[in-house]
Parts: sequence; C-alpha cells; structure tokens
Amino acid sequence: MGRVIFSRIAGAIPVIILVTLITFGLMRLIPGDVTAALGGVNSTPAEREAIRQNLGLDQPIHVQFVKWYAGLLRGDLGRSHLLGKDVTQTMFERLPVTLSLSAYSLVLTILLGLLTGMLAALRQNSWVDQAAMMFAMIGVSMPNFWLGLMMIVLFSVHLGWLPSGGYVPFMQDPWGWFRATTMPAISLALLQVGLLARITRSTMLEVLRQDFVRTARAKGLPNYLVVGKHALANALIPIVTVVGIIVSLLMSGAVVTETVFSIPGVGQLLTSAILNRDYPMIQGGLLIVTLLLVGINIAVDVAYAWLDPRVRYERG
Amino acid sequence: MNAKRWIWSGVTLAVLGCAGSALAAPFTCPKKGGDLVFGGEAKVNSLDQYGSQTISTRNVVSNVFEPLMTRDETNAPILDLAESMTESPDRLTYTFKIRQGIKFHNGKDMTSADVVASFDRYSKVGIERGFLINVAGWEAPDKYTFVIKMKKAQPTFIEDLSSFSQPVVIIPAEQKDKPALQLEPIGTGPFQVAEYVADSHVKLKRYEGYKPNTKFEQRTGFGGYKVACVDTVTYRIVTESGARVAGLQTGELMAVEDVPTKAQADLKKNPKIALLPLENWWVHIMLPNTYKGPTSNLAFRKAVQAALDMDEIMDASTDGAYKLNIGFQYPGRATYTDAGKETYNLKNKDLAKKYLKEANYKNEPLVLLTNKDYTSMYNAALVVAEQLKGVGINAKVDVVDWPTSVNRMIKEKEQNTWHFFYTGYGTQPALGPLATMKFFVHGGNATPVPADAELNAAYDDMINKPDPKERQAAFARMQKRILEQVYAVPFGSLTKVQAVRSNVKGFKPFRIPRFSNVWIE
Repeated sequence: MGRVIFSRIAGAIPVIILVTLITFGLMRLIPGDVTAALGGVNSTPAEREAIRQNLGLDQPIHVQFVKWYAGLLRGDLGRSHLLGKDVTQTMFERLPVTLSLSAYSLVLTILLGLLTGMLAALRQNSWVDQAAMMFAMIGVSMPNFWLGLMMIVLFSVHLGWLPSGGYVPFMQDPWGWFRATTMPAISLALLQVGLLARITRSTMLEVLRQDFVRTARAKGLPNYLVVGKHALANALIPIVTVVGIIVSLLMSGAVVTETVFSIPGVGQLLTSAILNRDYPMIQGGLLIVTLLLVGINIAVDVAYAWLDPRVRYERG
Repeated sequence: MNAKRWIWSGVTLAVLGCAGSALAAPFTCPKKGGDLVFGGEAKVNSLDQYGSQTISTRNVVSNVFEPLMTRDETNAPILDLAESMTESPDRLTYTFKIRQGIKFHNGKDMTSADVVASFDRYSKVGIERGFLINVAGWEAPDKYTFVIKMKKAQPTFIEDLSSFSQPVVIIPAEQKDKPALQLEPIGTGPFQVAEYVADSHVKLKRYEGYKPNTKFEQRTGFGGYKVACVDTVTYRIVTESGARVAGLQTGELMAVEDVPTKAQADLKKNPKIALLPLENWWVHIMLPNTYKGPTSNLAFRKAVQAALDMDEIMDASTDGAYKLNIGFQYPGRATYTDAGKETYNLKNKDLAKKYLKEANYKNEPLVLLTNKDYTSMYNAALVVAEQLKGVGINAKVDVVDWPTSVNRMIKEKEQNTWHFFYTGYGTQPALGPLATMKFFVHGGNATPVPADAELNAAYDDMINKPDPKERQAAFARMQKRILEQVYAVPFGSLTKVQAVRSNVKGFKPFRIPRFSNVWIE
C-alpha cells in the first residue's frame, strides 16, 4: 500500500509543476489586468499606470516569473492584487467553506445516487426503474443556478423555511450552517446524483448478472446479503472512480452555487480573481486546488487497492 | 437646514461649512439600535480607499473614513474634518484648520501630523495622486493646522480635493507606510469596521467616540452632522440580483442597491418595501477610435451619430429606466449644459446615408467592442449594431470581458481591432465637468482622440480660468466640440433603483449608500 501511495505522489509532482507553468503563462496571454477592476470603469490610463506601479505589474514578465517562483520555493504564494491579502491565508479562510459545502453535497449525492441507482437496478424495467431514471435525468438536465433560484423563491420567499443566502461557519453555529447550506448543497448535488445513479444502475446490472451472484443466491443467501455484500462490493470500483470525479465536479460546480447563494467560498474567490486578472491569487489558488484534487485522486487510487486486492498484488 | 457657501474675497477663497442657524437643533436619532442589513451588488475587494477606486469599496468605507473636505447633497464642496480652509490670494497656499477633539477608531487623537501622513501615503499609492501634480509640498505648522503649498495655481484644486471618487481620507500616521491595499480600516467616521470577509460581508459597528460636525444640523452628501443610529450595519455582498430581491422580500436584507427593472412591478405592490429611484446613475456612452478607419473619418462618425435612435438604445439597455441626456453632466445640476444638442438623437437615416457617401464608405466592417460584465453596455451595442445596419453600415459586435475590453481600448497595438468602445461615466459627471473632460485631453485620454488644439484650449481654460463662469463656458465649448467632432456618442442617463424595507427610515438614495442618520423602526 505504501508503494502505491509513494508512486502516486511521485507521479503527481510533474503534474503540479506543469499546472503552475501553464497557469502563469496562460494568464499572461489573456489581455487585460487587475487595473480595470481596481481603477473602476472610469479610471484614466495614467491612473491605471499608477496602480500597475503600486503592484509591480510594470516589471517585465520574466522578472515577475522569477519572483513568483522564488516565493513559491519559500512557501510564499504572494499577496492578492485585488484583496491585498496573503494568498495562502485567503485560500485557507475560504477552503473550509467550499469543502464543507462540497462534503455536505457529496453525502447527499452518495446517499441519493447509490440508493436510486440500486433501486433502479434491482427493479429493472419496472415503474420504480422508470421513475428513478427520470429523476436522474431531471438532475442531469437541470441547470443548478436555475434550481437554486427556484428553491430560494419557494423555501425562502414563500415558505420562509430557509435563508435566501449567506454562510454561517459550522464551528460557530452548526444549526445555522445546516440551514444556510441545505439549499446550496441540494442544488449542487442534484446534477451529480443523476450521474451517480445512472452509473450505479448500469454497474449493478452488470454485476447482478455475474455467476458469483447466481451462486450466492443458489446457496440460499438472503437478498440483502447478496446485494449488499457481494454485488455492491464488486460494483464499488467503477462507482469509486465516479465519486472521485464527482468531488472535482462539486468543487467546480460550487462556483455557480456560491454566487447564487452569496457564499464566500473558493469558487467565488477564484472566479473573481480570474475575471479581474488577479495573477497571484489565480496562480496560488489554482496550485492549492490542484494539490487538493491530486490528493483526492491519490485517495481514490488507494481506495482501489483497498477494495480490490488484485490491484495490490499486481503492483506488489 | 444645512448651509454652506463659497465666499469670494478678491482672490481669496474660503469655504465654510457652517450652521444655517445656531437656533436649529441638530439631528437626533428617533430610534437607536438594530442591525441594518444592506445587500450590495458588487464584491468589496478592498477597504483601502487609496488603492481602490471601485464603487463597492466606496460604498463601505465612505461610512468609515473622512477627508478634510467632501461634497454635500448637491455635490458642492464642503468642509468635513477641516474647521476652515483659506486660499491665499495668489492661490499658492491652502491653509486648513482642523477640527479638534476628533478621535480615530483606535482611540488616538487626530492631529495635523496624521493629515501630513495621509497626504504622504496618498502621494505614493493613491490612484488619483495625479491631481497633486502642482503641489510643492505640505506641512503642519502646529497641531491643528495643515498647509498645502502649490508650485503653480490650480483653480480647480478644491474641486479635486473634495472629490469623493478617491478622497484623501485621513488615517493614523502609523499607517503611512502601508503598501497599497494593505491599509487597516481605522478612520474617524461614525462607523468602524468590526469584520470583513471578502465575497461575503463587511460588518460595521457604531463608533461610540464619534464627534459629529456641529457646523451642520443634518447629514448632507458625505458630510454634515452624522450620527450612527443603528448599532451595526451588515453590508452583505449579494451579486445575484434575484437573490437580492428575494432577500429584500423575506426581510433578510433591509435595503438593497440595483433592483432589476423586471422585479420592480412586484415589489411596488408590497407595502413593506419602498423603491427609491436614483436618477442619473451614469451617462451611457460609446467612444470612437479616431486612429483607425472608417472611424478616423469625421463624415463617417457623423453618419453613425445621425443614424442613432437613443430611445431605442436606452430602452433596451435599461429596461426603460433612463432619461435622454445629451451632456456629460446630469440634468438639474448647475454645471449642466446642452451645448451640442443639435447633434443628439437625430435618427435620420437619409442624413446618415448622405454622410456615408461623403465618407466614401465601402462597406468596411465596423467593430463595436463591448462586454457582458455590464449588461447595459452589451445591450446598447446590439441595438446600435442593428440601427447601423439599417443605414448600410457593416456593423459587428465583438463581446469580451471588461478587463479585456479596457485593455484593447487603451493599448496601441490593440487599437487596430475595434472602432467603438462601450463604457459609462458614473461618478465623474456627479463630480463636475472636469472629471469627465479629463478623458479627452493631454495624454489623460481614455479613448483614442486626435490632438485637437481647440479641445485642449477649452480644457486648459476649464482648469486655469479663475472665474467659475469662464470655466463653465469653457466646459460648454468643450462639450460642443466633442459632440461636433463625434469624439464621443452619449446615449442618455441611466436610472438605478435602490429599495428599503418600510421600517428603515432616513435612507435617502445617493451615489453611495449612507448609513448614518438612518434608523430602524
């Protein structure tokens, strides 16, 4: 297992270096800079030049490049041009917001997705299957910003059950956090529920037709053991792969959801940074997000090895 | 009733903010307490007013920081932290007496040393530090006197100094070396910053040590007699307009800015909500690239000007929330002029075609550079394109994001890629003619305009003529010249609608939301 982890980490290092290079280069290729945001709509070229001098953007690109990498080697990701704050500190202020929202959403996704997919597979071609797949299709098709706004109208404006937006940290007020994140988590989860339900259904159908399932039934094992222990365990590997992808999708989907529900997460932070050409924030922020996603992928790989001994033996 | 006046005495100008009557009682809060939750439309990126010119920054920190001078309800200069200001007869010295007993939010007394430090920092990192170009230096001869010495006279200096676009707000001297955007928000205003979470909210709380300006009885503009009636203000950032409206309906938000037109009909029916239209929010405009054909040709530019129907353009841009306006000032202001009105809203296709023939136009593509960050600019470009096609101009809309759009407008090598650039003048028209006219001249131009001697002469007069009437006449000349030469095509003034819950009292729409003298019933 240790070797699996080590080889994955070693393989990830070039990916991370490549991401930093691409991010730095691509952002400099896009026209415009942060002066349009800081100077406002009506700033004059002279005023924008003053901002550039303040922020060191008047220096040649190779100087900026060397400075940023030198900072990176010291563990310093720089200071956001837009916020004037340390990039690492800002990211670590925002990550708990997005991670907690994504985690809540992931729990909903796994619960609803697995349940719907399994029900559909176990009752193939019945009305249950049809209804489950229709639910999955609606989830996949519905834009989450629209769903978010509709939920605000229903649950906030008309029923008054949940707040229309904002965020309360879990550690400060767990009930407030639950109320504030329920609608965003549902709107974020529904798309992924559809995806997971469809994968679960097809994988389960395939596994349920396998000889070992027939053997288990022939041995007289109760249905819940056949499905829960034998079939589901074997269906889990493709499902875990999809869950890994879903975690990445939740992070990117959070951009829209955070905007609709006014949640100060990483999604809003990085969108704003990109739209306003806040180079240090984009470079540092994407590096941290990349590290996170690489970590999730390594965890998925480790989960393979844990779920399927053949993976361990092949690599051992 | 507030009073303020410009007193002319030979060449000495004194601006006094003084009480209209010592008998009138100053404002007192009918009710104190509560948390006023305000829904802002844009992200507050920074609380450092020296390093950021954005409206959202101004929205918050105008309630936290104060300058020596500011603007009143009609945007005329008034004293704020200054007790008095005297201009020497030769206009080379400005002497400010500073109000005594003012304390910063950290409890420290404000003195002229802090004013010196504030000007020092502004001259290093203030985005609009260019207005100090004629200043030789400043000094503090005593604890409550601050003196600015000029290299040469600048008759519009007080107009610049009192501007709320990016004022020289007074900060504690200890902060003078803070780099741009790293200022701690410690001011002298009626509210102090309690918490700032970017992209989420800014929490302000009443500053108990605040000393109102007793020269006034009421709040006026950003100055006057200010009192924090509410305990706290939560300035929440709600960029999605639907969510802002929903928050107002549920009461989670007690006041909001920028209510979309489509939501206004429903909100009007709600007795718990009051809509507050803020007319003249900004002048909607497109600027030609006169360095590149076909827009380098005056006859062609006149053809475009003649073809446009401003009602159609403004209606589509604003969902009907507009007023036609020819000028670079808002109607109703003393500085407003309709000079050049004969060029406006002609909607004359025959005249346009005549000018096209004169320009020898050969169906070259005409690129309208716009963006979707500001929907009104995008919609205006779409309508203009259709109107221009109607007279035979091969108009194409090029949509990019706002930073790209600005970059392509100002960078020389990018100026081959567009013909009309879409923007809007908002705060500048409110600040007076000088603030908008600076875009067109002397290297400060924010659009490719050729060297135009007549234009530059008018601008020089606007700055240097000692008599305000002469300066106003120069402005009228300049506006007329810009419109006749089609260096700009203003469409009209856009209205912005703010809204409050009916239990919020004392909230008057202004360019920047003011939280002092506002109470909750």
